[in-house]
Parts: sequence; C-alpha cells; structure tokens
Amino acid sequence: MAYDPISVALKFGFLAVLYLFLLVIARSAFKDLRRTTSPAPDATGFHAAPAYAEAPRGVDAWLVVDRGGGLEPDQRFDLIGGLSIGRSKDSDVQIEDRYASSLHARVFERGGRYFVEDMNSTNGTLLNGATLKGEAELIDGDTVQIGDTEFRLEAS
Amino acid sequence: MRSSARNRELVALVPVALLLTAGFAAVFAQEGSRLGNLSAIYGAYFFAVCLATHIYLRIRLPNADPYLFPLMALLTAFGLVMVYRIDESLARDQANWFVLGLVLFALTIQFLRDYEVLERFRYTIAAIGLLLLLAPRLPGIGQQVNGAYLGVKLGPLQFQPAEFSKIAIVIFLASYLREHREVLIVGARRVLGVTLPPLKHFGPMLVVWGASMFMLVFIRDLGSSLMFFAAFLALLYVATGRFSFVVIGMAMFVVGAWFFASTVPHVHDRVEIWLHPYNDPTGNGYQILQSIFAQADGGLFGKGFGQGLITIPGTNAALLPAAQTDTIYSLIVNELGLFGACGVILIYLLIAARGFKIALIAGDGFSKLLATGLTAVFSIQAFVIIGGVTRVIPLTGVTLPFVSYGGSSIVANFVLLALLLLISDRARREAVEPAGRELALGMT
Repeated sequence: MAYDPISVALKFGFLAVLYLFLLVIARSAFKDLRRTTSPAPDATGFHAAPAYAEAPRGVDAWLVVDRGGGLEPDQRFDLIGGLSIGRSKDSDVQIEDRYASSLHARVFERGGRYFVEDMNSTNGTLLNGATLKGEAELIDGDTVQIGDTEFRLEAS
Repeated sequence: MRSSARNRELVALVPVALLLTAGFAAVFAQEGSRLGNLSAIYGAYFFAVCLATHIYLRIRLPNADPYLFPLMALLTAFGLVMVYRIDESLARDQANWFVLGLVLFALTIQFLRDYEVLERFRYTIAAIGLLLLLAPRLPGIGQQVNGAYLGVKLGPLQFQPAEFSKIAIVIFLASYLREHREVLIVGARRVLGVTLPPLKHFGPMLVVWGASMFMLVFIRDLGSSLMFFAAFLALLYVATGRFSFVVIGMAMFVVGAWFFASTVPHVHDRVEIWLHPYNDPTGNGYQILQSIFAQADGGLFGKGFGQGLITIPGTNAALLPAAQTDTIYSLIVNELGLFGACGVILIYLLIAARGFKIALIAGDGFSKLLATGLTAVFSIQAFVIIGGVTRVIPLTGVTLPFVSYGGSSIVANFVLLALLLLISDRARREAVEPAGRELALGMT
C-alpha cells in the first residue's frame, strides 16, 4: 500500500507542477521589479519629498499649499500656463481630499492678472471663506479652500 | 497590456486545475476502488468554475492583477483536496462555499466599482465591524468553541463574524489614516532619540490598542487580536513611514498581552500549552504535540496524498484533532512533506508580494492604504495559524485562508480578493495612461 507507484508518481508530479507554477509567477514578479525605472523615494512611494519647483524666469505668482490635501505645507506650484486642481491623477495639483471633485477648480492667468474658477465641483470652492461662483480674480494673499485643503496665492 | 494580463491569468489557471485533478487522483488511488475518471471530472468542474470567473474578470476588470486569482484558486484547490481526503461530505460543503464565495466576489466587483464610496461610510463600516466582533458574546446567538467566542448562530445559519469584520476594520483604518497621516507625521517629536507620535493624535493608537486588548479579554482569542493589531501597525507604518511607531505599538501589544495572559484564565491556558505542551500530553497539549509529530513524520516529500493518519487505526479517536480546520497545515506537511509545506508558504508570500505591488502602483492614498491593509490582514492570518501549528506562537482558532474548512472564511476572503482586484484594475489602468504635467513639475 505505502509504495503504490501511481501514488508516488502523482505525489512527485504534483510537487513538480506546483513548483514550476510558483517559479513562473515569481519570475514575473522579478520582471516587474526590474521594469520599475524610477524607484519610489521610499518603500511605498507615499511620502514624496516636497517638490519645490525651481522658479522659471518670468514667473511672478505661485499657488502655495497651506494645509491638507496630502501635500506638504508650503509646497509651491508656479502659475505659468495655469493649473488644474482636483482629485484625479491628471490634475496639475492632485489633492487627496474627500470633498474634492476629480476636476475641482482651475487657476489661470489672463492679461497679467490671475483668476480662479470653480469647475462645477460638487462641494464648491471657497475664496477667502466665501463661496466662489464661476470665476474671480486672485490677488496676493488670497486663500482658496477646497474641502479640507487650503492654498494661498503669492504674487510678487 | 490589457488582454495580456487576462491571458496570463487564463494560462495560469490551467496548472491550477491540473494540480486539483492530480490531488484528487492521488486520493482516489489511495482509496483504491475508484480510480476511474472521477478526478478528471472534478478537475473539469473546477476549471469550468474558474473559467467562468475569469471571463467575468475579462469583462469587468481587464487590467487587474493576473496572478492573484490563480494563486487563491490554487489555495482553494489545496483545501478541497485535503478536506475531501478527511471527509467527503465536508468537501461537498466546501465546494458549495467556493462557488458562493465566487458569486459574492462577482457581486462585490459589480457594485463596488467605485470603491471610494467606502470612505464616505467609514464610521458605519467601523460600527458594523465592531458589532460583528462582539456578536459571539451576545446571549442567544453567540457560541463558545474551545473557550474562545468566535462563532455566531442565527437560526440555521452559522458563521464566524471575525472573518468579515477584518475587512470592515481595514477599510475604516485605511480611510482614517489616509486623512490623519499628515498630522501624525508633522506633530511627531523626538524624545531621547525616539520619534513619538504627537500626544493629541496618540488617541487613535490607544483606541485600537484598547480594542485589541478588549478582544483578547472578551473574545478570548489571541490570534484574532494579534491579527487585527498587526494589520493596524502595518497600515500605520505605510501611512507615516515611521518605524518607531511600529516598535512602540508592538511594545504596547506585548505588555498588554503579557498582562492579560497572566490574569485571564483562558488566555493563560493557551500560553501554558504553547510553552509547556508536555505538562499534559494527552489532554491540553495533545493537539499541538500531534500537530508537530505529524509534520515531522512527513519528512522531505511527505507520505503522499491520503496516506497520513488522522484517526488512530481501528478507532474513531482523533490522532490529529481538528484536521480540517486548525491543523490542516500539519496534515498537508504530513502528506506532502517539507517541500509541500514550503510550496504552501510560497503561495502566501507571492500573494503578499502581489498585494503590496498593487499598493505601490495605486494612485491615491486611500487605495494604497486599503491594498496594504487587506494584504497585511490576509498574510498575518496565514502567519497566525501556521505559526500556531508549528509552535512559533500560541495556537489559536483562526482559519488558514482559502484552505481550512469553513464557509465564512472562504466567502470573506473572496470579498477581500475582489477589493484587491478592484484597486489593482484602477491602478494599472492609470499607470498606462500618460501622467501629464505633474511629472514636469517634479510631483509624484
């Protein structure tokens, strides 16, 4: 009974197929590791180092993070070409905020002046504490609040 | 990219079905009488069920991780063969639960496509999770098994609520830490070279610690308590990146567990059995000792499917108590040897690797933390029971995910798998799309 050839063959066959299967999956995991070209700044890619954008010439206004949004406080975004703010990955300023829409608001320059516009967001945008309707001009020191996230405009 | 992920999944399912067929064939060969083609029929059924799930995934989540489902199907195959080999009627239940689990898996994917809604209901979800944990202590529906309160009986329905509450609690913690992780990092102070979390935000940590100590005392289960707390620490580490928080948390757990192990009689007994099984080799220490002997007896390649002894020959007395649940791992080691055992542990390791990979590529904080938490709680559960039967930690009654006999475990773990695949599908879809201007700004 103990050394029935069929049983022995099945047992070793089972182990062989099992290990081959696991080997293939492990190999593909290694390939994944190698494919990652830009290593995350830490184990999870969660704590991205604050990216202080070098100010390109001609920029004279920034959107600066006050708090929240999964961003580092005092992180700066230059306003050249305008900025979209929202929860989606495609936003120029991606914020993690329960009350933010995927494309929530945008800030842009027109004729040397700066404007903020709410993009029909679900929970609205506050400009200096008041609900923003459509678009409004931004001047130095204005605060823009989206959910729990706050920005201020710094212009020189 | 799109179809290749699903094609790899399909290819990977073939060896899984073959392994199930070979396993059944070996069990039948051992029983002698029914070698025939029954094992091939079971294998075909299994493959058909997996294929149906695969086609569903192809339609709903074309970009999701290709290997998670085959790996979990492989664990289920292990479970079906081993449970069948212990008791045919139990295996029939197990097969039904497998199918029921896949139905719930499909429903989860269908109705939680936008899984961010979970974040909005986090306090409701947390309350349900805690209620489920406490349910076994409620008079009338609670059940005590071997001194621990783990089961609930509602009419004809029996289940282990901790299996479901682990998912609810991970969802809550992921959502909570997503919102509060910054204050935990920013307010941290260094005291005597150790980074301490800010005092006013120390509260949540104390609450979770208190909850797991409460579980230890009221549910009397060290395993579940360890499982929940370790998953919390894994999440805390990923959310804050501070290893010192983990060390502080572990120290708190050890102190608490030590205190209750010396005061609560049931917990004390479990620890005593773990440390000194030979004090009562035919009574309390019987299960753990038999479990270790069974594993040693397996040798390198095991005795072969169906050849391990579960009952003492000629009697109905158990040689390996609770072989279909607690000690199923020992039976696998007995029949497939050290190589089989390493294979099983490798499956869990690969699942953990895939899960953390999903967390790595996920785009937003909630997805990252949710994927981390689900993977952590799943892997730690496997560690708690494998560690229990190998006498690394005290043996407690949690199930070996997807392998042990038990409906709650299988169904709950398929819901967990569905959530992981939902996160994975979104993350991989976003990963192939151009990242846009944020890269130019140096943002990640």
